[in-house]
Amino acid sequence: MNGNGNLRVGLYICHCGTNIAGTIDVKAVAAWGETLPGVVVSREYKYMCSDPGQQLIVDDVREQHLNRIVVASCSPLLHEQTFRGATAKAGLNPFFFHMVNVREHDSWVHEDKQAATEKAKDLIRAAVRRVAFHKPLEKKRVPIHPDVLIVGGGIAGIHAALTLANAGKHVYLVEREPTIGGHMAKFDKTFPTLDCAACILTPKMTAVKKHPNITLWTLSDVTQIEGYVGNFTVTVKRHPRYIIEDLCVGCLECIEACVYKQAKYPDEFNLGLGKRKPIYIPFPQAVPQLPVIDRETCIEFKSGRCKKTCVEVCGDRKAIDFKQQESTETINVGSVILATGFQVFDARRLPYYGYGKFPNVYTSLEAERLINAAGPTQGEVILRDGRKPKTVGILHCIGSRDENTNRWCSRVCCMYSLKLAHLIKEHTGAEIFNFYIDIRTPGKGFEEFYQRLLNEGVHFIRGKGAEINTWPLDPSEEGKLIIRVEDTLIGKIRRIPVDMVVLSVGLEPHADAGDVRRLFNISCSSEGWFLERHPKLAPVNTFTDGIFLAGCCQGPKDIPDSVAQAGAAAAESLALIDSKFVELEPNTAYILEEACSGCKTCIPLCPYSAISFVEAKKKAEINEALCKGCGTCVAACPSGSIRQNLFEDEEIFEEIKGVLAHA
Amino acid sequence: MSPSFQPSVKYQKQLKRDLAAEILATPGGEKIYSCLQCGTCGGSCPLSGYMDFTPRQLIGMVREGFKQEVIESFSIWLCASCYECTVRCPAGIHVTDVMYALKRVAIREGIYPRRFPVPVLAKEFMRMLKSTGRTNEFWLAFKMLVKTTPLKLLTMWPLGLQMLRRGRLCLTFNRIPKPAGESLRQMLESVGERQ
Repeated sequence: MNGNGNLRVGLYICHCGTNIAGTIDVKAVAAWGETLPGVVVSREYKYMCSDPGQQLIVDDVREQHLNRIVVASCSPLLHEQTFRGATAKAGLNPFFFHMVNVREHDSWVHEDKQAATEKAKDLIRAAVRRVAFHKPLEKKRVPIHPDVLIVGGGIAGIHAALTLANAGKHVYLVEREPTIGGHMAKFDKTFPTLDCAACILTPKMTAVKKHPNITLWTLSDVTQIEGYVGNFTVTVKRHPRYIIEDLCVGCLECIEACVYKQAKYPDEFNLGLGKRKPIYIPFPQAVPQLPVIDRETCIEFKSGRCKKTCVEVCGDRKAIDFKQQESTETINVGSVILATGFQVFDARRLPYYGYGKFPNVYTSLEAERLINAAGPTQGEVILRDGRKPKTVGILHCIGSRDENTNRWCSRVCCMYSLKLAHLIKEHTGAEIFNFYIDIRTPGKGFEEFYQRLLNEGVHFIRGKGAEINTWPLDPSEEGKLIIRVEDTLIGKIRRIPVDMVVLSVGLEPHADAGDVRRLFNISCSSEGWFLERHPKLAPVNTFTDGIFLAGCCQGPKDIPDSVAQAGAAAAESLALIDSKFVELEPNTAYILEEACSGCKTCIPLCPYSAISFVEAKKKAEINEALCKGCGTCVAACPSGSIRQNLFEDEEIFEEIKGVLAHA
Repeated sequence: MSPSFQPSVKYQKQLKRDLAAEILATPGGEKIYSCLQCGTCGGSCPLSGYMDFTPRQLIGMVREGFKQEVIESFSIWLCASCYECTVRCPAGIHVTDVMYALKRVAIREGIYPRRFPVPVLAKEFMRMLKSTGRTNEFWLAFKMLVKTTPLKLLTMWPLGLQMLRRGRLCLTFNRIPKPAGESLRQMLESVGERQ
């Protein structure tokens, strides 16, 4: 039959409670299984993945001298390792096991019980015929590089970096902005405790800079990543800051000395609400505490004829270098944590809210900057026209929960809107109106905070603000922004004139999240958030081993959840590093050297660059450690000299014949 | 007992589920069960201030089976088809199309405000289209006025005369010639059957 001796197959059909047994007649399938050639034992059992279920396999192998195992149950993604383990425990090579998916592929997707039972038989017949040809295989062990790359220096990236660094691992923290801190650095207070965002964030930022185990690269992008779990080679492009990091002491005198006496250009950190000079530091507590020169606005870059007062004042330190070039670093790491964060919804996409048209319509992030003591107005809530608002409308769900924009609930907006309501009221004494669809406050201390706001006399109007206009229908509305809304609880259409509108914009994936996804070879959900391996049980893993997720790049979340997830990602990364070795699946391709003609067809096709050409022998060679077992080269080889473990021709053909043997 | 002391409790047995099913089967009404009751439609509607029930309330009432209240509502006849609600609805409900569907149900059940021009105009318009393939503005306006506000004819006739003199109105029917006209009639009938 197969050169592996006398075939003795053990066949096990799992009920999976009623998941499988509710649709497939498992008893009939088990009885039918006994009639298959080579099958010695055929059983059905309630939960094959349970300990007694696995013990069944072990006992049968010992008593009945089985040499092949087939389990018909759920997806190999869930329990292939479990049953391979049981097979190995019984003393067989674990690759003498084959799994049949009769749940996702059969019982869950069919309603006709008889047809589903017949399909289960076909799939099992195919597996029994295939497993006869399985060869004993060994898993390869490769060492894991202990260094970790973290992409994104927001609160999630910072927390993960510090956790790993404190555990003694070396971390490369790559951030594309001039400073770390992310969105949290822009916030004034954090809900629901109202502790100052900068007070809790900046010590962690400084700790990152000081930590001997952390290499911090700002103004940097990851441009390439190669390799596999435990052994990634990463290329990082470092954009010029035009300040030599090792020489600058952060005295910031150059900013003072700039030929521009007044700040003139819109300040990115303050979302254009404030002004900065061509040489600037994003905010006072920026880490690293170094200025940065903006090429676009600096006179020296534009004309080359600047007096360069900045260089003069820097003097002998010579920390300013207009000739600084982009540089490239190549590093080796064993695992990667992606903490690339989010962007806020662009309120210009909904023209009926007048953002960008009416100067006193702000986004929530702009409102954070207005309230912040380090912001463009030193914490005074002053409108663009210089007035202090007496009435403020906060419109929830802008760009969220909407078929026309983003369908998801951004989860943090209700709470930050309540926080902004409280803070604006505190700063200005204004009358505040919240316009909401639903108030979602399901977190520790959140509902209590909502109660507090209700008692502070903030108005809550249940109805999504429908539009903002400036056409007064009454003298009292003159010169105001008028919010038109259906108060759905009272059942009246209302017009509410206010001085200031805050649009509570939702969170969405970065515009270039797709590029990052492709770069790191991970998956995205349909919304564009990075996809975790399992929504409940593997929330920080991705489908690519060794790459973990933290923070809002995986989905909208608040600061505590981002930090918790960052901790989890760091723990997963540590678990990987401390296991010292990874076992590679042996489903790799290999070359029958005598048949290889050296045509090189396979080499450019390999997505993992695992195939090279050996000039001396004029043959192709596959690096087993790099091969992911995708099978592209196997299918493409014109001479059929590339084969693949676990997907040998005879295994596949027998499987096909098994399915087609349906009478 | 005065009517204001009538209990306003609605009993389950008084509700009728068939209206929701009918709206659900109408193009544009498929998503009424996605409605979040956010009130964007009512807030956007230029006429919502005059309505007895806002579009949001109507959708909620359709879903729950308040059939009588819905088809007796004045709101459905006020809808000016500006489509502002449809453009903005976060649930993707074609609110204007739902309004049309409700108007059709009301016309079919014979419930609409007496001498109200919208249903009369709709009926006369369709009748004219079916018989000639084209509408004639003079006769359409004339029939509508006769059936709703005949006294208005007395004040409107000088305007009509002026328009006739300038060739803006025409007394004779302009028909679509035979084969094409017949096809149009068949199409309209088949659409009508499907409603």
